[in-house]
Amino acid sequence: MRRIALFCLLIFGAFFSISGCAPKNTFVLLPNPDGSVGEISVTTKKGTQVVSQPNYATEVSSPDKIPSEPGEMDEGSIKDRFGKALEAQPVPPVTFTLFFKSGKDSLTDESEELIPDILSTIKARKSTDVSVVGHTDTKGSAEYNRKLSLKRAILIKELLVSRGIDAGFLDVDSHGESNPVVPTGDNVAEPKNRRVEVTVR
Amino acid sequence: MKRWFVFCCVFFLYAVPCSATDKDVAGVINNVNGTATVERSGQVVEAVTGNKIYQKDILQTGPDGSVGVIFRDDTVLSMGPDSRIAIDEFLYSPADGKLSFVSSVSKGTAAFLSGKIAKLSPESVRVETPLAVLGVRGTRFLVAVD
Repeated sequence: MRRIALFCLLIFGAFFSISGCAPKNTFVLLPNPDGSVGEISVTTKKGTQVVSQPNYATEVSSPDKIPSEPGEMDEGSIKDRFGKALEAQPVPPVTFTLFFKSGKDSLTDESEELIPDILSTIKARKSTDVSVVGHTDTKGSAEYNRKLSLKRAILIKELLVSRGIDAGFLDVDSHGESNPVVPTGDNVAEPKNRRVEVTVR
Repeated sequence: MKRWFVFCCVFFLYAVPCSATDKDVAGVINNVNGTATVERSGQVVEAVTGNKIYQKDILQTGPDGSVGVIFRDDTVLSMGPDSRIAIDEFLYSPADGKLSFVSSVSKGTAAFLSGKIAKLSPESVRVETPLAVLGVRGTRFLVAVD
């Protein structure tokens, strides 16, 4: 009887060690596509570990332990574990920024010249997901700016549709003054913030 | 009276789901390899390139599967085989001050390239795993749950 119990214990032990009774969560920081390096923080009940060096990883084996000291993960190990996920990473979206002539509903000459690039990018990527988002500076009320940026985004949408892009692929939105390129205080005129961004995904 | 009732019912039937469409789109599936599914309100459908993803959706891949998604805020997410990721909350409406991207990786591997939400409001981005919570500052990272 005792022998059976021992046997069961053994089988149980083996089963748990194989089936991942010792769980592990791994977090790896990678350099951004432009080469810059950001930062991740990993937090458990017991504390936080910040990873700020490229290809460094921290591991967590229990919610009751502080995440491990970050250590470098070599390229081979990253590929072994994450190769398939990395292969499936979509090409990051491309954003075109269009500017309007001051106080007018027409684009500046430079921005007008970007339209063919936008069209060819949509075709090359076979994109079915393009967003057209209007932005303003902080001059005037938030509500006014929201309406103005929506109006301009709609103008660009219509322009793209008139050049043969399926309207169903285009999503129009307006961020008003809340998503500036150049952060400013309220009621500041900033031409760089008055724009429509076309993002091809 | 009865006619009004029917009218109202029909109106709401159409109006409610319609008003909950485009703005609620979190992202679009960019590529699928092998077996991959999307679970929405308890229903599981095959993941197809070009299909829209909404908050509360759960993406899952089979032993040979992988999926890539581009979100509306330009976050790029991909997952390897035998992986499961829930999009718990996705809000991208800067004009209303609504920004949030919470996802949870319950198994497998995932690669993230964070987008505009992380740029505008880093504290609103969170990736949860069974053992920890990850926060970001405009960055690219990997997560594995073993």
